[in-house]
Amino acid sequence: MKDSLKSSSYDALVIGAGIAGGEAALNLANTGYKVLLVDKELSVGGKMIMLSKVFPTLDCAACITTPKVSEISRHPNITIFTGSEVSNIRKISDNEFVAKVTRKPRYVHVEDCTACQLCEKACPTSVRDQYQFGLIGRKAAFIPFSICSPKAAAIDIDNCTLCGACERVCPTHCIDFTMETETNELHVKTIVVATGFNLFDPNNIPRYGYGKYKNVITAMQMEREIAPTRPFHTILRPGDGKVPDKIAYVLCVGSRDATVGNPICSQICCMYSIKQAQLLMGALPMADVTIYYINIRSFGKGFEEFYQQAKGMGVNFVKGKIGRISEKENGNLILRYEDINKGKLQEAEHDMVILSTGVLPTKGIDGLFENETLTLDQFSFVGQSDMLASPAKTSIGGVFVAGAATGPMDIPDSILSAGAASSEAISYIIQHA
Amino acid sequence: MKKKKIGVYICHCGGNISDYVDVEKVRQAVEGEDIVFLAKTTMFACSDANQREMVNDIEANGLTSVVVASCSPKLHLLTFRNVTQRANLNKYTYVHANIREQASWAHSDNKIGATEKAIHLVKAAIAKANYAEALETNKVKALKSVAVIGAGVAGMKAAISLSNKECEVVLIEKEPFVGGRVSQWDSLSTTTETGKEIVNRLYNDLITRENITICTNSEVISNKGSVGNFTLKIKKTPRYISTSFHPEDLKKAIEVCPVEVPDEFNFRLTPRKAIYKNYPGEYPQTPVIDLKNCTRCGACEKVCPAVNFSEEEDIIEISVGSVLMATGFDPYTPAYGEFGYATSENVITLPQFKRLIDEQSDTLVYKGKAIQNIAYIYCVGSRQAKGDNTYCSRNCCTSTIHAALTAKNKFPDINNFHFNRGLRTYGKQEILYADSLRSGDIYLQSYEDGLPTVTIEGKKTIVKINDILTNGKEIEVEADLVVLVTGMVPRADNKVGTLFKLPKGRDKFYNEIHMKLRPVETVIDGVTIAGACQGPKNIAESVNSALSAATKSYSIISKGELESEPLVATIDPDRCTWCGACEAACPFDAIMKSEKEGKIIAAINNAVCKGCGMCAPVCEPDAINVTACSSTEIMSMIDALV
Repeated sequence: MKDSLKSSSYDALVIGAGIAGGEAALNLANTGYKVLLVDKELSVGGKMIMLSKVFPTLDCAACITTPKVSEISRHPNITIFTGSEVSNIRKISDNEFVAKVTRKPRYVHVEDCTACQLCEKACPTSVRDQYQFGLIGRKAAFIPFSICSPKAAAIDIDNCTLCGACERVCPTHCIDFTMETETNELHVKTIVVATGFNLFDPNNIPRYGYGKYKNVITAMQMEREIAPTRPFHTILRPGDGKVPDKIAYVLCVGSRDATVGNPICSQICCMYSIKQAQLLMGALPMADVTIYYINIRSFGKGFEEFYQQAKGMGVNFVKGKIGRISEKENGNLILRYEDINKGKLQEAEHDMVILSTGVLPTKGIDGLFENETLTLDQFSFVGQSDMLASPAKTSIGGVFVAGAATGPMDIPDSILSAGAASSEAISYIIQHA
Repeated sequence: MKKKKIGVYICHCGGNISDYVDVEKVRQAVEGEDIVFLAKTTMFACSDANQREMVNDIEANGLTSVVVASCSPKLHLLTFRNVTQRANLNKYTYVHANIREQASWAHSDNKIGATEKAIHLVKAAIAKANYAEALETNKVKALKSVAVIGAGVAGMKAAISLSNKECEVVLIEKEPFVGGRVSQWDSLSTTTETGKEIVNRLYNDLITRENITICTNSEVISNKGSVGNFTLKIKKTPRYISTSFHPEDLKKAIEVCPVEVPDEFNFRLTPRKAIYKNYPGEYPQTPVIDLKNCTRCGACEKVCPAVNFSEEEDIIEISVGSVLMATGFDPYTPAYGEFGYATSENVITLPQFKRLIDEQSDTLVYKGKAIQNIAYIYCVGSRQAKGDNTYCSRNCCTSTIHAALTAKNKFPDINNFHFNRGLRTYGKQEILYADSLRSGDIYLQSYEDGLPTVTIEGKKTIVKINDILTNGKEIEVEADLVVLVTGMVPRADNKVGTLFKLPKGRDKFYNEIHMKLRPVETVIDGVTIAGACQGPKNIAESVNSALSAATKSYSIISKGELESEPLVATIDPDRCTWCGACEAACPFDAIMKSEKEGKIIAAINNAVCKGCGMCAPVCEPDAINVTACSSTEIMSMIDALV
C-alpha cells in the first residue's frame, strides 16, 4: 500500500476507484504512466466489490474484482488515496491540471495494521454498517468489509466516543487519534472521471413502505444477503429472521418514473433482479420468486438467454407495475398491481419484497472544476461532448469520463467505457507532450 | 533431487467451493504428505490479503513450490503465478488445482463425493509440484504496428487511437469505400450530425496521419506467424479508375454505363451502375468499377480518360505485431415469406426503410404508392423462440423509434404502429420512447408465442396482433408499408475470421475471452476484437469497444518485446523419424519439417506452440515431450488420482 504523497506530479488523475476507474488506472499504468487513483470510500472496488455474482455469466463478483483490486494496489505506477476527495481542479495549460486532494484521517496507520480485528472487538459503540447496507451493525473502530483494500481498520470519528479501548488493545499501536486532514496540491496532465452512480433512495416512494415495513428491502441489501461475504449465513427477512419462501421483486423503483424526477431506464435492474432470482432459486429451492416488471430489458450479450433461463428455472414474471404495498400483522406484504395480462387490478401476498432501485447520477462532479465548466447532461450525468464518435470526451479537453458517471451502465459496458477513456487519456498525454 | 517444501492453499471461494466441498477435510487429507510443508484454507485465495500472506509464507519458510486449489486456471493461474514470482520463486513452480468447476460445481448434488474428488485433485497437483522445475520465459520480438481489419466507425476510431500512440497502422477495408454501416445512415439519435458526416470527419482525420496506411477494396488472404509478428498478404483489387480523374468526365461515364445492378448500399431498393460511387461525399473520392458486373462494353472509357482497365490486382505483404478485427455485422435477412418478406410488395426491412426516408422528400412513396400507415414488426431475426438467433440485437428498438420519429417529422401525415415484444430503450434512450409516445405513435405488444401476422386481403396488407396491452384484444392495422425490424447477425462472409481461427460464441459472433476481465481479447494471442463483430452494439458502444481494443493491441506490442510461455513441445532429434503425424495433429501450425545434421526431423516454432500436447500421443517413437507435462509428471499425477 502506497499511501504517502511522495510526488505531487502524476501523468493522470483517476477520480473514483470502482471497476471503471480501476480499469482505466490499470490501462494507463500498464502503458507506463504514473497514476493517482482517488476514492472517497475507505476501500477501492466501488460498488462491484459489494456484489454477489454478476450477470450473465454468474461469475463471483469478488473473484473478478479482488484480483483486479490486488493488481491495482500493487502496481508500481499506481498510487491510491482512499478516504480522499478531489476538488478545486484548474486547467493551467493543455498538459497541466492542478487539483486539491483532501485526505480525511483514518486514525489508523494502514501500513502497520494487520487487520486482526481486536479493535473491533474492544470498541463499545455500534452503528449501522453502511457496507452491509444497514442489514447489520458495525463498531466505530472497524474493518470496512472482509475483502476491502487496503485491508486495514478505520475509526468512524463521527460515532467514536474517544474511549480509547481500541488504542489499548491494538497490538501494533497503529491507531493514532492525532492524525489530521491532509491537503495536497497535485499536478497532472490528464484526468479520468469515474465517479460512478448513486442508487435511488426508496424512501422517496412512501407507498412502497420501505423503512416502514421491515420485510421490504432494496436489491443492494439482497445482494449482500446472497454474497459470499454475507452478513447472515442464510437468506432471511429482516422483520423476524424467517427464511422467506414467497419473494417478490418490484422493478423500476425510481426509474422510468417522471414523478420522482427520473424518467430514464436504469439499464441494469432487470438483469440484476433476474440474476438474484436465479441465485435465490438455488439457495432456497422451495421458494417462489416473482418479478413484477414493465418491460424486461435483457439486451446485452447473453442477457436474453439468461432471462429465458430464469423463466425455465421457474421464476415467475408478471407484467405489471406495483401501485402500493401494505403490511399484514405477520409481516407479510400485500402487493397491489395492475396485471397487464389479465387486464385487471390484482393483489398478491409475499413474505419478502425486494425493491430494484434505479441508478442516479453522482451529484456535484461539475463543482470540482474551477476555471473550466464540466458540462452535465439533462439528467446531471457527466456530459459527453462527442457522444457517438468519442464517448469518453467531456466538455473540457484532457478530462475524460468512464463508466456509470456518464449514465446507467452494466459492468461489461463500464469496462469498455473505461478502456475508451484510458485510450483517449493516453493519446492526450502523447499528443500534448 | 532436493526435497520439495510445498505450500498448499485451499480456497472456499466464498462458498462457491465450500458449500459443497469440505475444504477443511481436504486440508487435513493433504497436510500429512511428506513434501507438504504447510496446508491452509482461505476464504478468497485471490484476495489481496491472502496473496500477501502467501508471499510471507513462501519467504518465511523457504517454500519451493505452491499449490492453490481454487477455481479454473483460466481465471487465476496467472494471479498465483505472479504471487510466487513476487516471493522470488520461479513462477513455473506454481501448480493449480481446479476444485470449483471440477469438484464443487460439477457435484453439487454429492457433497461427500465432491470432497473426495477435490482431495484427489489436490493430491495430483502436489504430485506435479514435486517435479515442477524453474523455467525461463521465451522472448519474442514485437513489431510496433497493428493491422486493423474493417474501416467502419470502430476500425477507423481504433486506427486513429493507435496512430495517436505513435503506432504504425494498416487499415484494411474489403469494400471500395470506408465508413461501413454508419455511412449508410443519415439522421442519428442523440446528435445532429449524420452518419455520413461522422464518417467523413473520421476519414479527414485519418488521411492526415503519416503512420496510417489505408487499403480499400482490399482483403487479407493469408496469415502466417503469431503475436508480435503476423505476416499478412493483402489482395488489393484495382478501382480501374486513376486517382487523377476529372469529375465531369466521370459523371458522364456513370451516365453512359448501360449496366444496372441492385445497389447494396441502399439495401437493393434502387439500382446502381457498374461504375459507381455510393454517395457524393464518399471516401475515398475515386469511384470504382465493379468488374464482376461490368460487361467491358467500353462506353465509360470513351467519355472518361481516367478509366483504366489495365490496372492489375496487387498482392502486398505486411508484417504487424497485432491484429484488430472490426469487421462489423450484417443486418438479418428475413426468410422468404417471414412476415410477408419477399412475398408481399410492401414489406421491407428497417435498414431499407432508413435508406428510403433518407432518399425521399415531401411525400413518402414506396413502389409508386403514397405511404400513410406504417407497421413496424419488432424482433425479426432476434429473440427467436424457434430459430438460432436467441439473442436480443440491442440496438433495433431505439433505431426503429428514431427512424419512425424522423419519418414523422419529415412526412407529417404518416401514422406509426409499433408491433413490439416489449420495448428495450435502455438507459437514456428511454427519452426517445417517451417522445415517440407523445408524438402519437401507437404501440401494440405481444409475447413470443403470439407474434403478429401479416396477411394480404385483396389489395390490402393487414397486420394483426392480440395486443397484451389491451387485454389480448385482436387489433388490426391496414398498413401501406410493413417495416421488419431486422436485428444484427454476424457477417455472412467470415473468410477473414477463419484465417485467424477466431472462435465464435453461441450467438456466432466472435467470442471474447472473458466478458469482464478480457472483453476485447480472443484466445488467439495478439488478435483483438472491436465493435459489432463481437456482438450487437450501437455506435457509441462500438467506439468504446474499439478504443479498448486499440489500448489492448497497443499494450501487447508497445514494449517491442513479448514474453511467451516456455511450456512448449520439444523434439528428441535422436528418436524423431519424421512421419508427419505431429504436424497433422498440431492445431496451431507450430510444427514443420526441418533438417538437423543431415536428418529430417520435426521442428517446433516456440512462438506459436501453445503446449497443448496434441502432438505427443500421436508420436510413435515417443520423440515429443511437452515441458512441465513429462510422462513422469503425468504418471505421478495419475498415481495420485487413482
